Amino acid sequence: MTLTTIRKGSLLAVAIASLLASPAFAKVTVLGWPGGPEETALRAATDVYNAKPDVPENDKVELLFFNRDGFWDKLQADLAAGSKAFDVNLLATYSIGRYAPFMEPVELSDEAASVYGESVLKTMQYKGKQFGVPTDLSMHFMYYRKDLIEALMKDDAAKAKYAEISEKHLGKKLEPKSPDEWTWDDYAATALYFTQAVNPDSPTRYGTVLQLKNLLFNMMVFQSLPRAYGGNWMDESGKITVNSDAYRKGLETYKLLYDAGATPSDSLSYEFAEANAAFTSGQVAAMMQWNAAASDLTSKEKSPTVADVTETVAPPAGPEGRFTHIHGLGFGLNKNAENKAGGQAFIKWLSSKEAALTYARNNGAPALTPEVVTEVAKERPDLVKLGEFASKYGYVMNGGTAAKALSVYELQAKEFTGYWSGQQSLDDALANTEKGMTELLK
Amino acid sequence: MINALRWLVFAIAAFAMNFPILVTLVTSFKSTRELSTNPGLWVQAPTLDNYLAVFQVSDRLNIFLYLFNSITVAFIGTTLAVVLALPAAYAIARGRLGERTLLPFIVNLRAVPLIIFAIPLYMMFQWLALLDTRLGLGLILSIVNLPLALVILVNAIRDLPGELDEAALMDGASRTQILLRVIAPVCRPAIVTSLIFGFITAWNEFLFGLMLTTSKAVPITVGASFFFAASGGGVQWGVASAVMVVGALPPVLLGLIMYRQISGSMTAGAVKG
Amino acid sequence: MNAQRAHSSEFRLLAMPLVLFLLVFLGFPAIVNLIYSVSDVSFETLRQPKITGLSNFAAVWNDRAFWQASWFSLRFGALTALLECALGLILAIFLSPLIERRSWLMAILMLPLMVAPALVGLMYRLVLHEFAGPVPYYLWAWFGTSVSFLGPTSAFWTLIVVETLQWTPFALLLFYMAYRAIPTEIVEASAMDGARRWHLLWYIELPLMAPTIVVALLIRFIDGFRVFDNVYVLTGSGPGGSTASLSIYIYEAFFKQGAIGKAVAASVILFAVSFAVLYGLNFIASRRKGALT
Repeated sequence: MTLTTIRKGSLLAVAIASLLASPAFAKVTVLGWPGGPEETALRAATDVYNAKPDVPENDKVELLFFNRDGFWDKLQADLAAGSKAFDVNLLATYSIGRYAPFMEPVELSDEAASVYGESVLKTMQYKGKQFGVPTDLSMHFMYYRKDLIEALMKDDAAKAKYAEISEKHLGKKLEPKSPDEWTWDDYAATALYFTQAVNPDSPTRYGTVLQLKNLLFNMMVFQSLPRAYGGNWMDESGKITVNSDAYRKGLETYKLLYDAGATPSDSLSYEFAEANAAFTSGQVAAMMQWNAAASDLTSKEKSPTVADVTETVAPPAGPEGRFTHIHGLGFGLNKNAENKAGGQAFIKWLSSKEAALTYARNNGAPALTPEVVTEVAKERPDLVKLGEFASKYGYVMNGGTAAKALSVYELQAKEFTGYWSGQQSLDDALANTEKGMTELLK
Repeated sequence: MINALRWLVFAIAAFAMNFPILVTLVTSFKSTRELSTNPGLWVQAPTLDNYLAVFQVSDRLNIFLYLFNSITVAFIGTTLAVVLALPAAYAIARGRLGERTLLPFIVNLRAVPLIIFAIPLYMMFQWLALLDTRLGLGLILSIVNLPLALVILVNAIRDLPGELDEAALMDGASRTQILLRVIAPVCRPAIVTSLIFGFITAWNEFLFGLMLTTSKAVPITVGASFFFAASGGGVQWGVASAVMVVGALPPVLLGLIMYRQISGSMTAGAVKG
Repeated sequence: MNAQRAHSSEFRLLAMPLVLFLLVFLGFPAIVNLIYSVSDVSFETLRQPKITGLSNFAAVWNDRAFWQASWFSLRFGALTALLECALGLILAIFLSPLIERRSWLMAILMLPLMVAPALVGLMYRLVLHEFAGPVPYYLWAWFGTSVSFLGPTSAFWTLIVVETLQWTPFALLLFYMAYRAIPTEIVEASAMDGARRWHLLWYIELPLMAPTIVVALLIRFIDGFRVFDNVYVLTGSGPGGSTASLSIYIYEAFFKQGAIGKAVAASVILFAVSFAVLYGLNFIASRRKGALT
């Protein structure tokens, strides 16, 4: 065998190997959240990183995106089977416990604490270890129609009607208030007032729109209502506390609104897109919705009917205060990564101030500390609000990052929608949820 | 008179069954603005923007790659299934081989959600380097297609008069020769039917496509939602419609061509006895 | 018969490629799954399942949701199969004179099959939406009210209609081909005898199409029984799991709850039961005349 044949053979082998290899070969492959602003922001940040002279050629970042539907299921299969298709992958607060066994703790830059603040870094921690850099923060706002609420507060006849409706349905006379001062009862009363089935003179068909599809994300939107009444998944000792007055109040309020026709009767099949479409039509007065909807709902192009009159505030208050459910999306390191060092280097840079600002300027939604956010306040006033709400009202339920947190949301979705649709009693729904959660969070 | 009634029934059936497709087609020409103000079935200001978005190729989005992948995997998944099923169907129908066990066993594969095989298959594909390859996905789709192909082919062969075989046997032909020269030609409509249904099933498959591919072998059903996913889990309906229209074209064209085959072979001579 | 027996080894050879293919590609996964079904296993312990006996089967058996999903699948499969085959049969025979001359008509009727059920489900989310969908839009415009298509009581029937509209063409195509394959001589001979049109249909044509009808019913039942994509997209198996098919139940157990053993055990039960049913049907049919499937 001559040298040339060996060389030819090895060339062939290399050629075959490169055909078979994943794109991770000698690069850093990052699996991101497809579509939407998160992708735009990640692309921009990646471009900045790859342009840096001190990043070696084979540590440059390549992006990979899956389908958004079934993303977490596929990621689960990939990680569990030890996929090498990506080095760095997307991570979310609610799934961190589920994926942590297949991931490596990471080291963030020294600036991370001052850029994001401890409470936000916590959304990417599991059992005291940092598993990712929190790039985007999701929470909920109360979206409402400024024109309708203002008209209501000026009109004495309307006020009387409002009091009458609130007394009839909620058992107490209420007065219209500005949404920033709402309690959950005020929200419910307003929702009922603006419902034609309750108040034939209402300018809108529905007072609100609830997302009640049997879907885990819808439970996140719901969670802040019981939380304002002191609800939590479990107490300090680990006892499940879902079967409580707080959850009872939350579930009953939703049920009352659904039964009174204050939300479309198809709401039981509604998720993000359907709720937005209902609000955009101009036939809904107020709704709880993800912060991600803000840009669409205030865009004249996408929501011509309501863009000018839509306002957002933090969710209503309860006896325990005002709360908005937060979770972070971020990036962590795959345990089976082929280029672990390269991946770690990218994550470390991603947690730097430079990266966070790039990310913020390109549609991302990082929750930044007040000192840092001022640098982008002009371009992104919404981020100021995001950071403020996150620190003032943000919460994660006890157990919200547990290995089976996702399953808890799934369970609640099934049991709670079962109650709202009238298939089971409130007692059964809560008892089943308590039983299931005890199993899942033990 | 009766013919007019026939046309009426056809029109109603075609309209009802194709209603979602009609809406998709209409929606694909609406702008984002119009979508939020006009739910009706006419378009006030038609636009091609949605199609432009679909045909724009970037490092992440490549509709042509997804279509090519789908055509390849559907082709592998369909032909392989029929090639494997035809001789087996002949053995089952004429040799009464495995009629009680093999046949119900395979038919059963259609009833069980095959996705439970996802994890072991995933690991197996890892060893065989078949992950994210068109060949790998095609092989799995052929398993998905086998039950239907087998049922249709067994049914068709059973319908053939036994004299066909007997005559050939008298001439000293082997079973394989009979299958290839006598049975296969007269079964052409059934073979084409299995191919059409197999192709459609393979084309429409979603879960295995999602699980077993990442970038290079992504089929159109999975790739489609790359285009229309919006922030917060929203859907860009206009783009979604356009990508669905584009994604449905290949099977429609193929169906037209194949269908001519069926009707052609049927008029050439009736086969059932 | 003698000739056939002499050829039995050749028959075995003909069936061999199929059997080998299945052994190679499903053999290993099937063994792994059988182990999983009797093990305590999660995504973390895929490679070290702990064998625990039949507890997964017991868990499935005692799960109310499993029975609810089975019942949904049975009803859904039976109703859609009957509706699709009835509609398909009527259309195939009634429209046959039209389609015979213009094959593009069949192409139009077959269009619904060409769109993936997952995407059809997605489109129905738009079509049926009270504010953005055309159906409620016209109902409001013409009647001043609309129907709650996906509310708790109507969701099941909406799903049935969605499935039936998409898959009737499947039955239609099978029936049309079977109908056209009836030799013209038979029909003409009976017509000569003065048989009335619909005697002809009832006593000659339908019996000749019977095997195809049985096959179509079987296939459509199985497909309806295992329905997944469109239902999952439209209702997410809700509200409260009331529209979970068995496939959805298994998928959710597998991916959402990470209860791999339970999901696989449910599939094993499903496989065993449907095998028994098919085997039994075959047995009865072969006692009468020939085998069924």
